[in-house]
Amino acid sequence: MNKRFGFLRILLVLITITIGTRLFFVQIIEHDEWAKKAEAQHSLENTLLAKRGNIYMMDGDEPVEAVMNETVYTVIVDPMIVNKEEVKKTVTEYAGDFVTANWDDVFVDKKLRYFVVARNVPRTNAKKIEEAGLVGVWMQQGTKRVYPEGELASGLLGFVNSDGEGQYGVEGAFNEQLAGKNGLLRAVKDINGIALSIGDENVLIPAEDGENVVLSIDKNVQFFVEKTLAEKLAAVNYDKARASAIVIDPNSGKILAVANLPNYDPANYGMVKDATDYVNYAFEEAYEPASVCKTFTFATAIDTGAMTPDTTYVNYGYTTVDDTIIRNAYEGMLGNITMRIALNYSLNSGSTQALRLIGGDPNNINSAGMETLYKYYHDNFGFGQVTGVELSETNGYVPAPDSGYAMELTYANMTFGQGVSISLIQLASAFSSLINGGKYYTPTILAGKMNGDVFEKSESEVAPVRQTISEEASATMRDMIYGTRTVRRLYGIDKPGYYIGGKTGTGQVVIQRPDGTWGYSEPTGETTATYIGFGGAEGELPEYVIAVRIWGEGYHFDGGDDALPMFDKISSFMLDYLKIKPKE
Amino acid sequence: MVIYAIGPMTANYINVAYGTERYGTSDFFIHQLISVVLSLFVLFAAFKLPYDKIRKFAKWIMLASLLTGVALAFLALIGSSVANCAGGGCRWFRFGSLSFQPAEFIKLGVVLYLSQLAAKCKNENKLTMSDFGLPFGVVSLLALFLVVVLQNDLGSGVSLLAIILAILFMSGISIKSFLMVLVAVLIVGVLAIVTSSHRMERIMTFFGEGGSDESYQIENAMIAIGTGGLFGAGIGNSLQATGYLPESINDAIFAVMGETVGFVGLLAIVLCFMFLLSRLLKVSERMEGDTEYQLIVVGIFAWVGSQVATNIMAMTGLIPLTGVTLPFLSYGGTSMLFTAAALGLCLQISCYTGREGKHNESISSGRRFRGTHHASRSGRS
Repeated sequence: MNKRFGFLRILLVLITITIGTRLFFVQIIEHDEWAKKAEAQHSLENTLLAKRGNIYMMDGDEPVEAVMNETVYTVIVDPMIVNKEEVKKTVTEYAGDFVTANWDDVFVDKKLRYFVVARNVPRTNAKKIEEAGLVGVWMQQGTKRVYPEGELASGLLGFVNSDGEGQYGVEGAFNEQLAGKNGLLRAVKDINGIALSIGDENVLIPAEDGENVVLSIDKNVQFFVEKTLAEKLAAVNYDKARASAIVIDPNSGKILAVANLPNYDPANYGMVKDATDYVNYAFEEAYEPASVCKTFTFATAIDTGAMTPDTTYVNYGYTTVDDTIIRNAYEGMLGNITMRIALNYSLNSGSTQALRLIGGDPNNINSAGMETLYKYYHDNFGFGQVTGVELSETNGYVPAPDSGYAMELTYANMTFGQGVSISLIQLASAFSSLINGGKYYTPTILAGKMNGDVFEKSESEVAPVRQTISEEASATMRDMIYGTRTVRRLYGIDKPGYYIGGKTGTGQVVIQRPDGTWGYSEPTGETTATYIGFGGAEGELPEYVIAVRIWGEGYHFDGGDDALPMFDKISSFMLDYLKIKPKE
Repeated sequence: MVIYAIGPMTANYINVAYGTERYGTSDFFIHQLISVVLSLFVLFAAFKLPYDKIRKFAKWIMLASLLTGVALAFLALIGSSVANCAGGGCRWFRFGSLSFQPAEFIKLGVVLYLSQLAAKCKNENKLTMSDFGLPFGVVSLLALFLVVVLQNDLGSGVSLLAIILAILFMSGISIKSFLMVLVAVLIVGVLAIVTSSHRMERIMTFFGEGGSDESYQIENAMIAIGTGGLFGAGIGNSLQATGYLPESINDAIFAVMGETVGFVGLLAIVLCFMFLLSRLLKVSERMEGDTEYQLIVVGIFAWVGSQVATNIMAMTGLIPLTGVTLPFLSYGGTSMLFTAAALGLCLQISCYTGREGKHNESISSGRRFRGTHHASRSGRS
């Protein structure tokens, strides 16, 4: 019998040793592993979402919301504990349009404990789901961007992706201000996700909401510009055609409209055919603007004193540089003509002659002339450089005089805007300085911010960053550019008492020819059309500058026929909208 | 000896008090407090009430206990709300806020009756199949049937089986007979497992086929114990008890304590239990003159020991989950009362140690109690 007691005693000791050893292993050796699992299970790390700022546009003097937030909910289920059929039925009934999950997938792996079944569910729908009182279903609050103005200015505004990051345009460039700073709550939680006060490593950093940005864009101008461009594109009816336009105040650099047509729906940004639809072409694409550049060449020649509008030269209908013949697009006006006439008829021989005169040799293009033109183009007018506007933009390219062989021909081309690439915003900003007295303003799209309901205007002072040409030269240029529209005044398109001027550009583009080689298109082939002009009351400084560009792969657009009429419409609108009174 | 039981009880008391403070509900704290007070009273009563006077009722106690089991099954059958069913079995009577678990009563009845039966047969040298085997087997099987089949309570079944086997083992039957019974039990046990999907699931869980509630419970019990480390997070700082760990004040109390008091604390608790159990063995061994007392103590040893071992080993992932309470620690009035009664009885029996032939002497004086207690302690060293 004592043996049997001994047996029980040994059994007892063995079990004790087993348990003791096991405890040692679990609690001491494997402690870190279990602690890690515990932490994964217990820690609650909630990002306290900062509210993304709204984007405002101006409606006259009043800021109005162009992009705002709507509270939406994400519906999440715990596959382990939900009643499958009941949840499916309820969620489908109240938020069927927002279901993102395939119901069959939801319950496959119950260990997941977390499955997102619907996103962007509006508050009213979410409330109904909540009231259904389903077990194992919970909702996470979030925000969605909404666009009261629909597609208006989509290419300028950009959008917010599903991660809450601003992409393209204003949303991209101002992402940091708009986003604010997310806060953080780190705590231990009970099984219902309620934070507990156990432990001393709890952290709470409150969220800082984003700024409400007010753009200088005028909603009404923007709307009219887009309407004009859209009508033109509808008339062209060519699916690769695009149009961009900028309206800017030449006396401050304040941008009133930036249009890139066709628009897309920023609320459904994923629906575009091609990511290039997101591009803000007016800022982000450099192109060869062609004859509009003649204004800058002539301005350079006049500002350096190399010529006056009445300087004459002999127009043969072409000119020869480096044994290469450069033809005029317009074949008339042969003989001894003034530079004024050369600009009116957009003669390449005239702008090339201006470059010769800048170098001081009426018969040859010399390096002094090229260097001066480079200095004006690059340094003064800011071509080939970013303007400094708040949004993403491109540099473009201006070849330096020492950047290759046979630069004379390149520079002759540059006088009429070929061989040099700039963005529309560079063009509009530089052109503003041509006609406003020579002051270059950094273009800006920012008017200020909203602090609650109070509009706080940008504090930065409006001051020119440099003088591009002298005030006198600017007055002369204004007069020359005004002169190009003599015919339009005669026909009554430009009403008396107003002072409107502008310049066309029809740029050949570099294409791949059918034989596979690359080169400029024929003048009658694919071309990009530009028109840049100003308007205001006679005897006053111009109050607006409008730059319009229309282009499309394989399509011939003409500066005079296609871009100019759009300028005319927008210009008339601007005279009305700004209530500019004609000179009596 | 009583110290070993009071130690864990105190720990429990503190733990519950902290829990109450955290959740702000005093309900279960009051319940537990009542249970503790009651069980102390029961322990003292069982210690003082001379067993000689109860001895002749052993058979009736057993029958009464089995009858409560039958009554429960009957009430469950007719769908009475008095029978409280949960988790695939009807295991409790419920009268308002009071509940009673017949399985605990059955354990006590079985211990008393089987010990008496075995002692009687041994003393009269009639450890035969007809005189001993038959009544022993019938009562054992009936008790197991009520608990395991009708109440679907495998946990209580395991401890009941341990009681029966321990008494049988120590009754003096031949090792050969005992082994035959053991083999039969194993065969029936395996059959019981493979014919029940519920039990099969627990076994699968144990061998890593997760995804069920059981694997979730064990995983979380292990997390609680593992997080405890050497000294634990401190009493009242259990995170697992905030809802992650099912049955955290019940079957899983050991895991929660592991998180709060750590390896050192758990080892102390385990050692307390083991000293208590080895103490019981010693008491039994000394009672060589009285086989009935000897077997009662062995039965209670098996009762407490099996519950401690299965509970702790399940919580540490050593064996499949069975759902037994940890004696003296788990929340649960019936279990606490009956283990207290059983322990009180052992305490009484221990007083007879070394005083053979003086069974009838009064032992009601507190002085003598302390003296006895002292003697038994020095006797151990």
